[in-house]
Amino acid sequence: MGLLSFHNVGISGLAGAVPRHIINNYDYDLYFKKENIREIIEKIGVKERRFADMNTCSSDLCYAAAERLLDDMKINREEIDLLLFISQTPDYRMPATSVILQERLKLPSSTITLDINLGCSAFLYGLTVAYSMVTSGGIRKALILDGETRSKVYSLKDRKTGFLFGDGGVAALIEKGENFRESWFSLNSDGSRASLINIPAGGYRKMSSCETVKEKVVDEYGNIRSDEQGYMNGADVFNFVIREVPKDFNKLLEYSGTNVNLIDYFIFHQANKYINSFLAKKLKLPEDKVPSTIEKFGNTSSVSIPLTIISELANKLSLHKRLLLSGFGVGLTWGTAIIEVDGCYVGEIVEV
Amino acid sequence: MKDKLISALAEALEMDSSQIKIEDNFRDYDSYSSLTELSLLAMLDSDFGIEIEMKEFNNYKTVMDLVKLVESR
Repeated sequence: MGLLSFHNVGISGLAGAVPRHIINNYDYDLYFKKENIREIIEKIGVKERRFADMNTCSSDLCYAAAERLLDDMKINREEIDLLLFISQTPDYRMPATSVILQERLKLPSSTITLDINLGCSAFLYGLTVAYSMVTSGGIRKALILDGETRSKVYSLKDRKTGFLFGDGGVAALIEKGENFRESWFSLNSDGSRASLINIPAGGYRKMSSCETVKEKVVDEYGNIRSDEQGYMNGADVFNFVIREVPKDFNKLLEYSGTNVNLIDYFIFHQANKYINSFLAKKLKLPEDKVPSTIEKFGNTSSVSIPLTIISELANKLSLHKRLLLSGFGVGLTWGTAIIEVDGCYVGEIVEV
Repeated sequence: MKDKLISALAEALEMDSSQIKIEDNFRDYDSYSSLTELSLLAMLDSDFGIEIEMKEFNNYKTVMDLVKLVESR
C-alpha cells in the first residue's frame, strides 16, 4: 500500500546551509544568449541559486547545518543513536558518507549510520525511516542530514537543466514527543520511468571511461552534455507529475481523514515555478499557504522541501502547525506526508 | 470544441489563433519548444481534463489530431 502512520514522533529542530557563491541566472550567459535565458527564467522561475566550490561536498553543507543545529539546541551528541544521510552526490562510491559524518560530528560509535540514495522525494523517505526507528524504542534522537550539490551533476551547456539546479544541505533532529501527535505518509515508486531523469554512465552498469566523459551534442537544439552528466526529459516528467502528485495528495488526505482546510502550509519539492504553480492551481491551494524558494535557491532536489521550511517558515513553527509535504522526481519516486510540528527550533541558514 | 482547442493552443504556444490551421503540424510552429510543450500539456489537463501518457501524445502530429483528442474525451 505504501501508506504509513506514526504517533508522537516528529521534527524537533531544523537548520540549513548553502554555499556562499551566488549564481545570478540573468548574468549566466557563457553558453546562451541573454534573451533565451530570460525566456527560460520566466518559465522556471529560478533567478538565483548557490553553487558549491570544487572542494565542497553535500556532506560539508550538511556538516555545517548539523553543527549549527546541535550547538544551538545544546544537544548531547551521545544521545544521537541514528544518523541518516540523504544524497545522490555522496563523497565517495564507498564508504557511505553517513559513516564519515558520524566521525566528523563526534557522534559515538554506537550511532547507527545509513545512506539513502534517492532524489526529490527523499526527505519524506528519510522521515519515515527515522520515525520508524525512533518509534521502535531504542533510538533516543535521530539526525537526518540531507544534502545535494546538483551543480556538479548537470551540464551548463544543456539549456534543459543548466539554469535549474542549485546546492544546499539541511539537518533535522527527530525525536519522540506527545506534542507531535499524528503523522501520515504515502510513498510510491515507478521504475519503468527510471530513464526520464538519470546519469547514464559512471556507475557499475556503464563504468567511467574516456568515452563517457566526452561532451556531445545531444539534440536538435544543440544542447551539449556527456554520459556522466544528468539528463532530464522535462515534458515526460511534467506530464507524470501533474497526473500522479494530485492523486497521491488526495489519497493521503483521505487516508489520514484530514480536511485540507486544516493544513497550515503545503510545502512542495521546488521542481520549477511552472510545475509548482500548476500543482497549486490544480489542487486549488491558497498562494499564501504554499511557500516557495525556487527564485533564490533553484531546484535543490531532496533538500528543497526542508530548505523551504527553514527559509520561509522559520518564525511560524514555534506554535503548533500542520504541514503537508509533497516530493516527486528521479526514480521516479513520489510521496506525500502530513506532519505536525510544535515548538520546532529553526536555525538561521549558514553560508559555507 | 474545435474553436476552444485552437484558442487554447494559440495561448499555450504564444501565437495568434489566426495563424493556426487545422492541417498544420503543431510541432513545426516557430514558438514550439520544450518550454511551450509544457504549456500545451498543462492546457490539455486544465482546460480539457485530459491526462495522457507522452507515448500517446507523441503520436499526435496535427492540430486536427488534437481536436479529435479533445472531442473524443
